[in-house]
Amino acid sequence: MIAKEMFKQSLPLLILCGIGGLFTGNILILMAHLFETIPGLIIIIPGVIALRGNISTAFGSRIGSAYHLGVISKDDMWNDELKQNIIGSIVLSILVSAILGLLAYITSIYLFNVYPQPLLLIGSVLLAGIISGFILTFLTVGIIYLVFKRGYDPDNITGPALSTVGDIITMLSLFISAGLMGAIL
Amino acid sequence: MIYNWKTIIRHGLPLLIFCILIEIYAGNLIQQNQTFLLQKLPVFLISIPVINGVGGNIGSILGARLASGLHIGSITLKSNDKQMHENVFTAIILGLCTYTVLAIIIYFIGTLTGATKGIELITYLIIFIGTGVFLICILSIISVLSAFFSFKRGVDPDDVVAPIVTTFGDTLGIIILFLFIGGLIL
Repeated sequence: MIAKEMFKQSLPLLILCGIGGLFTGNILILMAHLFETIPGLIIIIPGVIALRGNISTAFGSRIGSAYHLGVISKDDMWNDELKQNIIGSIVLSILVSAILGLLAYITSIYLFNVYPQPLLLIGSVLLAGIISGFILTFLTVGIIYLVFKRGYDPDNITGPALSTVGDIITMLSLFISAGLMGAIL
Repeated sequence: MIYNWKTIIRHGLPLLIFCILIEIYAGNLIQQNQTFLLQKLPVFLISIPVINGVGGNIGSILGARLASGLHIGSITLKSNDKQMHENVFTAIILGLCTYTVLAIIIYFIGTLTGATKGIELITYLIIFIGTGVFLICILSIISVLSAFFSFKRGVDPDDVVAPIVTTFGDTLGIIILFLFIGGLIL
């Protein structure tokens, strides 16, 4: 019973997400030359991708439990529980991005012998965090709405869908931000 | 009301900072091996996000299911809980199927772009699927342990399991992949 439900709802999505990951891998290779102009940028790539995924999958996972507990449902979606989750996710995105930039800067210098420009590196991560934080939080709400509408269990869907779409949106946000910061500074 | 944005941040932040440090280490692993991977075996550089992504996804699905089960009481905090075992077993089989399909797709795309030169299909399949299944087994254990421990301590597993599993997935995925490449090719 568990196996049948998980295979039916998750397997197609997992394969699709794997192909999405392939896309992320190719963006990485195509944009390899940018890592040379901004030292330290490649070190933050796994962090920035994973954190976005982490914040939105945790958001999705909480909504999954809220759905099972009955505090949120198809007919009662825009309630205060959801709003608290939205505020929490966005604030967390901005806070954590700033900390990631700062820690990457410090560890680069002391541990990896890479010397980034502080404003460029931290500014790029922070801007990328703000842009992707807003996009992904509202995308999460959209995906949850669709999942409810189709009557699926959110636990089987939100995690993979968000982490994959999150990867691609975050990568794009980061490169736009890095380009912008590079142009300004 | 069960959710409050300040609580979400208070539960999430310390763990996310811990994750950042591990992810920065993973980033450094890629940086050190980037030249080697790009020049000799580019197909594996493309495979890294796929291996890590699928591993993290299956671990998170398992975590989300365990969390919901614990919240509604259908899963109990016992090491021999039948429903927990069934979920873990399904996650591993799901991983085997997903990695097999993706390995074939990636190798096929790789032959078109020339990324697979220097590696046979069978060697690639063994490395990719081997890394994937080994990763899922370890991540399933991490998923169960973190779900059970957080629930026991009164922390919502939904806040905890996915970050832990995806973070360990990213670092372990790269390390296991390098071990398999080292054992079978070098």
